[in-house]
Amino acid sequence: MRDEENYGDLARLFADEDAALDAAPFTANVMKDIRRQAMLRRLTVGAFGFAGAVIALLQLPDLLSAFVGVDHTVTSALALARTEISQAAASNPMWLAIILGAALSMAAVSMTERT
Amino acid sequence: MRSDPDLAHAAAKGSEAAFAELVRRHQARVRGMARRLTGSDAQGDDIAQMTFLAAWQKIGTYAGGTFSAWICTICWREFLQWRRRQKIEIEFDETAEIIPFDRSANETETKMDLARALESLTEAQRVCVVLCVAAGLSHREAAEATGWPLGTVKSHVLRGVAQLRTCLASADVA
Repeated sequence: MRDEENYGDLARLFADEDAALDAAPFTANVMKDIRRQAMLRRLTVGAFGFAGAVIALLQLPDLLSAFVGVDHTVTSALALARTEISQAAASNPMWLAIILGAALSMAAVSMTERT
Repeated sequence: MRSDPDLAHAAAKGSEAAFAELVRRHQARVRGMARRLTGSDAQGDDIAQMTFLAAWQKIGTYAGGTFSAWICTICWREFLQWRRRQKIEIEFDETAEIIPFDRSANETETKMDLARALESLTEAQRVCVVLCVAAGLSHREAAEATGWPLGTVKSHVLRGVAQLRTCLASADVA
């Protein structure tokens, strides 16, 4: 016999006492507190997020100007490379074969590489 | 009717309605336990409320099993934190003295026999009787919740129950 079965009568006395407690107001209070905590958390996260967005927005002009600079650098580098390739190919067609081989190798590696 | 683990699972996904149902189902047990541990209805309800708030935060850690044991364990920890704030340690050895609740005369007059009988127990006996007899935890669950040895819990329950019966019987005679 389990030890717990020796005090079933007392357990029922306690359970009867507990059953008299009104569940509705207590449950409502707990849920109100939970919602209040959730609201507070949302407000905190929202406030920090908003502050972060404002800071990011203030930095946007600098970011865009830097991006325009990078964009310009890349574009001019590509144009220069095209010119240099044309010049190299004109002086020696073997450069074209070397570039083609390198491009094919890179394509093969990138296609077989797992991400 | 949905089972406690089902409701806990839904609550872990953010369902406030599921958690409200769990609160409604278990509030009596938890409030009763906290009230008997503190000896005060108001402080007991405060601890019970903190218990359910903590349970909402930790509901994702509920890994099945008896929900009542899980929630009562949280209640016990909340009670211990409350005790620490009051800088009171609980002795669980056999020689621990009887520490009566500090109640006003008015409260004492209106108190039921059961509560009076609980007051006659040592602190450790009272804790074990509240956890095992009133809250319905098994001896093992109570031992895990309190961190006390299983044999100690069994011994306190046995003595506490005997003492309760004696007190209730003498109250009936009177």
